[in-house]
Amino acid sequence: MVEGARLPEVDRRALLRTAIMLVGGSLAGVPSVALGATSDRFFTPAQFAIMSEMAEIIMPRTASPGAKDAGVPDYLDALMTNWASDQRQAQFRALFDEAGGVGFMNLDDAGRVAFMRNFDAGKLRVWDPAYTKFKELVLTLYYLSELGATKELRYELIPGKWEPWTEISPDAPAWAV
Amino acid sequence: MFDAIVVGSGMSGGWAAKELCEKGLKTLVIERGAHIEHGADYTDSLSPWEVENFGMVPEEEAAADYPIQSLCYAFSTANQHFWVKDSEHPYTVEPGKPFKWIRGYHLGGRSLMWARQSYRMSSMDFESNAEDGHGSDWPIRYEDMASWYDHVEKFAGISGSTEGLAQLPDGQFLPPMELTGAEKDFKSKLEAAWPTRKLIIGRCAHLTEAQPHHEELGRISCQYRSLCERGCSYGSYFSSLSATLPAAKRTNNLTIVTDSIVHSVIYDPQTGKASGVRVIDAKTKEGRTYEAKVVFLCASAIPTAQILLNSKSEAFRNGIANRSDAVGRYLIDHLSGVGGGGIYPSSQSHYHRGRRPNGFYIPRFRNVTEPTADFVRGYGFQGGVLRENWRRGVTRPGVGAEYKASLRAPGPWRLGMGGFGEMLPRWDNRVTLHPSQVDKWGIPLVHIDCSLGENDKKMIASMRADIREMLERAGCTEINVGEHYGGVGLGIHEMGTAHMGVDPTKSVLNKYNQSHDVPNLFITDGACMASGGCQNPSLSYMAMSARGAHFASEFLKEGKI
Repeated sequence: MVEGARLPEVDRRALLRTAIMLVGGSLAGVPSVALGATSDRFFTPAQFAIMSEMAEIIMPRTASPGAKDAGVPDYLDALMTNWASDQRQAQFRALFDEAGGVGFMNLDDAGRVAFMRNFDAGKLRVWDPAYTKFKELVLTLYYLSELGATKELRYELIPGKWEPWTEISPDAPAWAV
Repeated sequence: MFDAIVVGSGMSGGWAAKELCEKGLKTLVIERGAHIEHGADYTDSLSPWEVENFGMVPEEEAAADYPIQSLCYAFSTANQHFWVKDSEHPYTVEPGKPFKWIRGYHLGGRSLMWARQSYRMSSMDFESNAEDGHGSDWPIRYEDMASWYDHVEKFAGISGSTEGLAQLPDGQFLPPMELTGAEKDFKSKLEAAWPTRKLIIGRCAHLTEAQPHHEELGRISCQYRSLCERGCSYGSYFSSLSATLPAAKRTNNLTIVTDSIVHSVIYDPQTGKASGVRVIDAKTKEGRTYEAKVVFLCASAIPTAQILLNSKSEAFRNGIANRSDAVGRYLIDHLSGVGGGGIYPSSQSHYHRGRRPNGFYIPRFRNVTEPTADFVRGYGFQGGVLRENWRRGVTRPGVGAEYKASLRAPGPWRLGMGGFGEMLPRWDNRVTLHPSQVDKWGIPLVHIDCSLGENDKKMIASMRADIREMLERAGCTEINVGEHYGGVGLGIHEMGTAHMGVDPTKSVLNKYNQSHDVPNLFITDGACMASGGCQNPSLSYMAMSARGAHFASEFLKEGKI
C-alpha cells in the first residue's frame, strides 16, 4: 500500500517466529527473549526498564490505564527502530543511561517519583532536546493508544456530525483527537 | 488519435477531462505519477493507534527524501504515497531565494491533499492589474466567470454561507458548517471593534448535504472525521478521484494513462497547431507520443511552464506558445505562513463534538473597506476557536497523577488564525529550465528564481500586526504571532506562469485560456492566472477549466481549431 512501508512491529515478530520454525526449530524451549520480549528490542534491558519506569511515572495508572498498560514502552522502543535517526537513538540511549547512572532504579517508588519531578522540571527548563522529545512521545503514544484514547479520553472514528457547542459536565474527558 | 489530451489529473485536469468527455470528446488524461484507487488506496479507516509509527515518517527518510514535503502539516505515514520524493524530483532555486514546492504526483494530484477552502475571486480581483498596473490586465472580468463558478460549485458541492460581500461573491452553496460558540463570540467582538470586518464560516468543498447528483457518483455527506488528507472513502470532499474523473469515466469517452511524464508538446509547423505530446514512461523511460485535436495543459503552474519551455522547435526556439517571453514569468503564490494564536476567554462548560474539517474566514478588508497607504491589494484570514487537547501538556512541566488528571479535561479555548495575502505578479519571478541538469528521465530540471517584493513584505508585516491586534481586542492571553519563513511556495498556490492577457506580445493565453500562438493549445491550471487575489484558488481553476473546455469544444465544432 505505502511505498517504502516498513513492517509494523507485530509483523516483525511474526517473521521472527516463522524464521525459527523454518530452520527446524521449535517454539518450545525457545527463551521468551527471542520471541520479542527483549531480544528484538532497541533498548538494552536496563535502558528499557528505566524508560518504562519514567513513562509510567509521567502517565501513571490511576483509575484509568497508565503508560505501561497502554503499551507506551513497547511503542516507544519500536519507534527507535522504525522512526528515530541515528542521532535520536544515541540521544535517547544517553538520556536513560544518565538516569541509570545516578541510581534512578535503586530508588524506591516515592524516590523515583521525586527524582522524576526534578528531572522533568530541570530538563524542560533548559529545553533538553532528548527529554522534551521523550516527553512529547510519551504523551503522544499514550493518548493516541487505544487505551489512552478510549479509556482515559474519548475517541470517535466516525463522529457522523458536528456539534459546535455542546454542554458538558465538569468531569467530561477531552477528545483524544 | 484522441479528440483531446489533458495533461495532469488534479484539480484542473479532472475538470477539463470531465467537461470535454461530457461534450462527447474522446479524451486522454495523462498523469505522470502512479494510479491511485479511490477508497482502496486511502487509510481513512485507521484509528490513530493503527497508523504506522503514529503518523511519524522516519526521521532520516524524511530528511533525505522529503525535506520539502515534510514541511506540510498533512504529510504523514498515513498518506506518504501522496507526496513526491524531493530526492527523486529535484529542482533548483536561485541562491538566497528559497522556494518550497509542495507536490503530489499521482492520479488526482493535489486534489487529494488540498485544504478544500473554496472561494470565488471578485470583480476587484479581475480588475486589480488594470487598476494598479501590476501584471497584465485580465482579458476577462468577474461576469465572464460567474456562471462557471455556479456550474462548478453545484457539481463539486461547496458548503458556505451567503454574505453579500463585494470582495467575496456568494455562490451556489450547500448548507454552511456551524461556528463554535467561541467563534460566534469572537465574530461579535471583531465586528463591533471594526464594523466593516466580517467573520464568516469557511467555504469548503465538503458535502454538508449530499445531493442526488453527488450520490450518483458514490459520494455521501461529510461524517466529520477530518481525516481528509488521507483521502476520503466516502467522497465527502471534492477531489478528482471522488468526483470529476468518475463523471468523465461514465461517458465512456475517457482514457487515462498513468506513469507517463509529458516531455513536451509537439508543434506541427504545417498546420500551426499542436499535434500531440511526447511522453516518457516513468517506469521504462521509453518514449512515445499521443496525438489529439486539442491539448490541455493542467500539470500545475510550474510543470506546465516546464513543458512549454521544453517544447522547442524551429518556430518556437524559446518554447511553444512563448513568443511573448512570458512563459515561466510572473510566478506567484499566496503569502502564507504568517499565523498567531492565543487563549480565548470562553465557557468552560461547553465543548464541541465531531471534527469539523473547516474553520472561520475573515474576508479581505485591506484596500476594500480599510484603505491602506503602505501597500496595494490585501489578505484574508483563516482560523478557528476550539478547545485544546492533551497536546498542551507536552511543553508543560509535571509528572504523575495530578499532571495526568489536569490533561484529562478539555483545555482552554484557543484562537488560532493565519493570513493568506495576495502576492504581486512580477516579471522577474520566474521559472526557467536548468541549462545543464536533467532529471532521471532526461528532462531539464526546473530552476525557480522567485522572491518576495517590497509590497509583499509590507503586506506580511501588516498581516502580523493585524493578527496581534485582533487577538488583543478579542481578549486573548498568551498571544504568540509567528515569523514568516521568508520564502515563497508554502501557500501551495503556484500560479501565473502562462498568464491570460489581452496583448499577445505580453501574455500567453487569451480570454478563452487558448494560447495566443497555438490555437489548439489550452491552459487552465494555476499557470493561467494573471493575478491571484487572496482567495484560495482551486475553485477558480475548476471554473477556468470548465470554461476553457467549453470554448475548446465550441471551437472544434466550428472548425476554428
